[in-house]
Amino acid sequence: MTDPTRPWTAFYGASVRKTIDAPAFRTIGDFISATAALYGDQPAFTTCLPNGMNGTLSYAQADEMSDALAVYLREIAGLTTGDRVAIQVPNCLAYPIAAMAVFKAGCVLVNVNPLYTPEEMAKQFADAEPAAIVVVDMFADKLVEAMQGHPIPNVIVTRIAEYFPVMPKAIVGAVQKYWDKTIKPVTLPHIRLPEAVKAGRAKHAEMHNALESYRQSIEPDDVACLQYTGGTTGVSKGAMLTHTNILMNMEQTMELIEQFEKGKEVALTALPLYHVFAFTVNFLGMFSQGAHNILIPNPRPLTNLKRAFENYKITWLSGVNTLFNGLSGEVWFQDTPPKHLKFASAGGMATQGVVAERWEELTGKPLLEGYGLTESSPILTFNPFGKSRVNSIGVPLPSTVVKCVDEDGADVPLGEPGELIAKGPQIMKGYWKKPEETAKTIQNGWLLTGDIGVMSEDGYFSIVDRKKDMILVSGFNVYPNEIEDALAAHPGVEEVAVIGVPDGASGEAVKAFVVKRDETLTKDAVRAYCKEHLTGYKVPKMVEFRDELPKSNVGKILRKDLRAEEQAKVENA
Amino acid sequence: MVGPLEQAILALMIFVIMLGMGASLTPRDFTLALKRPYGLMIGVVSQYGFMPLIGFILATTLPVSDPIKIGILIMACMPGGTTSNIFTYFSKGNLALSVLMTVTSTVFGVILIPVVLVLYAGALDLDIPRENIIATLVLLLVPVAIGMVLRKLNANVGAVTEFMGSMLAIFFILFLIVSWIPRNWEFLLTTTWATYFGSIVLGLFGFALGYGFSTLLKLHPRNARTVALETGIQNGPLAIAIIAFTFSGSEAQSIMAVPVLYSLFIVITSTMVTFWFRRVNTANEQPLPNGLL
Repeated sequence: MTDPTRPWTAFYGASVRKTIDAPAFRTIGDFISATAALYGDQPAFTTCLPNGMNGTLSYAQADEMSDALAVYLREIAGLTTGDRVAIQVPNCLAYPIAAMAVFKAGCVLVNVNPLYTPEEMAKQFADAEPAAIVVVDMFADKLVEAMQGHPIPNVIVTRIAEYFPVMPKAIVGAVQKYWDKTIKPVTLPHIRLPEAVKAGRAKHAEMHNALESYRQSIEPDDVACLQYTGGTTGVSKGAMLTHTNILMNMEQTMELIEQFEKGKEVALTALPLYHVFAFTVNFLGMFSQGAHNILIPNPRPLTNLKRAFENYKITWLSGVNTLFNGLSGEVWFQDTPPKHLKFASAGGMATQGVVAERWEELTGKPLLEGYGLTESSPILTFNPFGKSRVNSIGVPLPSTVVKCVDEDGADVPLGEPGELIAKGPQIMKGYWKKPEETAKTIQNGWLLTGDIGVMSEDGYFSIVDRKKDMILVSGFNVYPNEIEDALAAHPGVEEVAVIGVPDGASGEAVKAFVVKRDETLTKDAVRAYCKEHLTGYKVPKMVEFRDELPKSNVGKILRKDLRAEEQAKVENA
Repeated sequence: MVGPLEQAILALMIFVIMLGMGASLTPRDFTLALKRPYGLMIGVVSQYGFMPLIGFILATTLPVSDPIKIGILIMACMPGGTTSNIFTYFSKGNLALSVLMTVTSTVFGVILIPVVLVLYAGALDLDIPRENIIATLVLLLVPVAIGMVLRKLNANVGAVTEFMGSMLAIFFILFLIVSWIPRNWEFLLTTTWATYFGSIVLGLFGFALGYGFSTLLKLHPRNARTVALETGIQNGPLAIAIIAFTFSGSEAQSIMAVPVLYSLFIVITSTMVTFWFRRVNTANEQPLPNGLL
């Protein structure tokens, strides 16, 4: 029977539960230990470097090491339940050990982008007030400046080649130190990760019930993670994701995917684990499947992924539009697309239709787009395998309701655009120390996404725009995404952003900022191309060529910055 | 010249280097290169079509003695050497294609070298030392195969072997240059400018023609770099062996001036070309917008 308020459940596979009442585990720590017991000596994580050097942890090792580090954090570093622990490392073996330890210790994980500037770090530290940080040696030098506002008493330093075999570890270390010169001396008092693990292990041997006592100190609705979000909408805020939020979202997402075979998948994680998408889906989701997770510390340039694709039989990968677009353009990838791939998942930003088509043609396997927000741990909707639709974000996950509403919060008629709002067990508890922001974002239990979407008759959603990016041209509503999508299909266009600019005649006019792929591209050619594909009022009145477009640190094009530039021009004129 | 001990050390070094090169490859690299034999064919044409022609033009236009003319011609007709694989590796070229090109040009060489020499040098009757040809192939293929197996068995062992091999390769290149000059100082001072010119320009023209030809035929830049290096870099030691087998006394000594000079300068020019190719490769990398990746 199909629920009339959730028509999309008709597209769920036969074995998919439409509703998940409660997570299978009480806390993330419980989930980790139980899963590790199931897969024991099977490989859980492998860091794969561009030259093929690698280090691997089995399920059992990851479990044991994170136990030890949890004891270290509590007993030696002196942390207590609810204390925040920052993790600032690129994808490498230290990440799973540290993150799992934080959960087991009953502390709160704060993911920090390793590429942040000291000022950005300082802001986040001042807000989250972490009591400890696990940081990679390459970026540890930034800590001194970043800690001026809020000093972090416990610093644990790790390295990219952590837990590699001796020879590769020595070579990678020597190359980083003497050739790349990416490792600067750590001047702060600190302890090395393996030392901390060793110390915790010794302590654990004396206190057998340590972990059980931490476990009992937390409840399923306690915050597990402060996930910082949204330079795009204003101040950076920490979304409080609880153990239940994260466990549920992982389970909801995995529930919808019936193609995974437990204990047999090999996942490629090129997206950074500090990002909520990779965190929930790649890190925890694939762990729940008993998968072998290949971690890529730095996917730039994309040839850095070549050895990983050659040496491991990748069955699944996740990424953003940029990754799929880029890989499809690499000759080595075109020559040898991954043979064992089942499908790929895309999220984080809109996946362009042309990119998905090219990817599917090349690999012969679907590229399934999903959608979500940091505030929803993050997944809200996904395209079901075999039933994916182009330019659609798919259908809501089990136990999730999504609908489109107008400015007053009333449901819009079917097929009409409206702001997407969502309800489900994955919706955050609120923003950390920001009740007013929380009240603006969560109303009557619904998460206001700020994205304008449309629901099809049978329950598929697509995003037409972000709420405030809409352009009003002589009474016509124009959504920049549509024009950007059209222009992105032009072979001479590398990237494009479209905004509305004040214009006497039409109130607002469409302006396109284009980064050329083909140097010979002209403004007239851009407009002519748009005319071919779009109704007259949508064709950009102005075209400006740029060398690059302003972006947020997660790669979203910042239309608001372009708008501000245009506004300034008008004011100065 | 080179003593037996030095020769053994050099052979051992090449073996270890090629082991490392092999560890960077997978069987799929070879099947891909074989599936599109276009690159390979272009390679054979530039190797035995262009190079001998360049050699012939140089030999007939430069004011050099007869033995030098013979030396230039022989040098121009040689197949690709192992050093071409090393430089291809460092140039981020297609190493599998390079190895295959070296193998084909060496195997074909048994027939093609005499044919081409007869074509350009008339009645020049040369002995092709088959042992040397076989030795070249063994020294190339055996370590490459072992290297590939090592990588397949354990990616870390493969990657460490590759790293060691490439480090040794850099040392090897420096060693060739540094040890060669003092040993041949006297010889360098007494050689005429035309002989220098012929020996140096032969390789340079080879690079240029190989690169131009394959770019013209729209080979991927990576493969064009490979063909360029493969065409320009000849098997110097094989030329020396052929001369030693065929000629004797002072005549052999004079002819040998060309491969000896060539062998020194090709290492220097290849190094420069490699630096340039690496720059080109980096410049042509796909631009990735700043973002999540």
